[in-house]
Amino acid sequence: MASVEYENVGKSFGAVRVMADISFTISDQKFVVLLGPSGCGKTTLLRMTAGLETIVEGEIRIGGERMNEVHPRNRDIAMVFQNYALYPTLKVYDNIAFSLQVRGHSKDEIKQQVAWAAELLNLTPYLGRYPKELSGGQRQRVAMGRALVRHPQVFLFDEPLSNLDAKLRGQMRYEIRRLHDRLQTTTIYVTHDQIEAMTMADEIVVMRDGNIEQLGTPEEIYDRPANCFVADFIGSPSINFLHGEVQGDGGAPVFRAAGMTLPLPQHSAAAPGQAVICGVRPVDLSVSADGPVKAEVILVESTGAESHLLLSLDGHEIRAVSQGRVKARPGEVCGLSIDPATLHFFDAASERRID
Amino acid sequence: MVLSRTQRLLRAFAAWAVVMLFVFPIYYWVTLSIKLDREIFSIPPKVFSFETSAKSYEEVFGISLGFEEGLAVLPGGGDFYMTPRLWDSIVIAVCSTVLAIVIATLAAYALSRMRFRGQHHFVFWILSTRMMPPVAVAIPMFFIYRDFGLLDTYQGVILIHALMNMPLAVLLLKSFFDDIPKEIDEAALIDGASRFLIFRKLVLPMAVGGIAATAVLCFIFSWTEFLFVLTLTQTGLKTVPVVSSTFVTSTGTAWGNMAALGTAAILPAFVFILLVQKNLVRGLTLGSVKQ
Ligand SMILES: Nc1ncnc2c1ncn2[C@@H]1O[C@H](COP(=O)(O)OP(=O)(O)O)[C@@H](O)[C@H]1O
Ligand SMILES: [Mg+2]
Repeated sequence: MASVEYENVGKSFGAVRVMADISFTISDQKFVVLLGPSGCGKTTLLRMTAGLETIVEGEIRIGGERMNEVHPRNRDIAMVFQNYALYPTLKVYDNIAFSLQVRGHSKDEIKQQVAWAAELLNLTPYLGRYPKELSGGQRQRVAMGRALVRHPQVFLFDEPLSNLDAKLRGQMRYEIRRLHDRLQTTTIYVTHDQIEAMTMADEIVVMRDGNIEQLGTPEEIYDRPANCFVADFIGSPSINFLHGEVQGDGGAPVFRAAGMTLPLPQHSAAAPGQAVICGVRPVDLSVSADGPVKAEVILVESTGAESHLLLSLDGHEIRAVSQGRVKARPGEVCGLSIDPATLHFFDAASERRID
Repeated sequence: MVLSRTQRLLRAFAAWAVVMLFVFPIYYWVTLSIKLDREIFSIPPKVFSFETSAKSYEEVFGISLGFEEGLAVLPGGGDFYMTPRLWDSIVIAVCSTVLAIVIATLAAYALSRMRFRGQHHFVFWILSTRMMPPVAVAIPMFFIYRDFGLLDTYQGVILIHALMNMPLAVLLLKSFFDDIPKEIDEAALIDGASRFLIFRKLVLPMAVGGIAATAVLCFIFSWTEFLFVLTLTQTGLKTVPVVSSTFVTSTGTAWGNMAALGTAAILPAFVFILLVQKNLVRGLTLGSVKQ
């Protein structure tokens, strides 16, 4: 087990610059998720950590040791690939045992380790099969087993669940997290799925276009998104943005947009006259007949437990999520109440959070 | 798709017609080898009913099949004794195929997996070696071979056939290796395997289909190659295509004998392809990665 440190890491493929000046530290035993849209450089960063891409700019340290020149096999990491990359001509047993075999461990030790990993992953009945004879979920487990047997310092996962169906994904999410709680191995987990990030991570690193947008615990990232991008990326359905302006209004400054006036938090740094964006999560809007803000219902979707509403607020489309069933029909007008404490304000020009 | 009865019949008929079109010349060639000389050119051609004789085979292979009395061809004797030539062909085709495949798989794997400066140019250069027509190379090759003492030797012919096959084999095999996800190599690299171990233990078994297909092409090329064997050999060895041409003499063409040798020459190639064919099935990579 070890910490992983990134210091001013950058990467270019030819003339294409995909990453610049990445610096952060993953402390020992943490489960850290790299989260970002497709193409933002998550895989590249992970591959640089594994030694599959060269590190030309900056430095990556594992357990305090510089890794730039270290061969992948000597970094003491294990990686689970997005497409699993199982060895198709080897049986499950040999797939899992491969790394121990090439490293010259004794037969007995290998047997013991494979049995341990297979037990942990419920793979024992499948050890004699070939990868092509397994289901998607089982293949995923084999890929994990291959990583587990070596007891590496760091696990690297590259979107390991993206090829599974929704239900299996939920289950594997839980199992991977439980495995981590048991083994306490530092884990870097790449995904574009914010639910995976929110549910599994100790810490989330939100990336966009090769930059880190925010780094923090899931709660911090959800409750205090650093900018519009992070606010928009986290949470489903996505946050609503209202463009407006801060006005003096005699006493305390207020936010005015879409025919509403909302109070700003106390001690807010927003100055009167400043153009701002107000973010409000759908779950923070409560729909009721007597809410002070009136909006027209466009669409109501029920997921069973909750209702998702698409509303028109002074011509802007916004979403609201309400627990239970909502009686409103399209075309009707309903009332919304907004708790000012749940609002997020961002500067309209820089899209940065205003506190 | 559900076909009506007529459609099915039509389709079967069309399929058979095409097969016939392809098979007929071979069939007719085989009949020539067992016809009597005087019936070979009879008009109208005798396609199905004719007098048969094993004479052509007996002459070509110096054996007595014992069908006809009084025709005593001594084993190993006779003007057209060709058995050693068939052997030459087999040795050359098998060895040159093995040589080409061994070198080409290694080269193709390296080209598929490793990046180096000027790689595109290198691949193009490999291909460009086949752009010159062989005729243009044959005469210079003769002198080079003479100086190196390779003229009229197995090694010489094996070498030139392997060389001729190499470019195509490298490019073909590279495309097969390219189809194998490079993540498999990378996973093994992290697992601690060396490049060569990865190649031998993981990648090669996945590429057997492609290697088999390439081997068939190499074998057929060598089996039918004419020009280089003609120019680079004298008396020591000759392959079937070249000796076939010796049946054309100033006093006439021994059609029956030529057909007998040709027919016999189909067999080894057929056997080789049969041996390799079961590996042509692809799909060994199925299940290793999800697409
Ligand atoms: N080998 C490569 N050559 C050139 N560009 C690459 C290569 N690998 C990745 N890229 C580019 O780098 C960017 C980041 O890719 P990647 O790390 O795979 O993103 P992610 O995993 O976040 O989806 C993309 O724009 C991609 O096109
Ligand atoms: Mg990726």
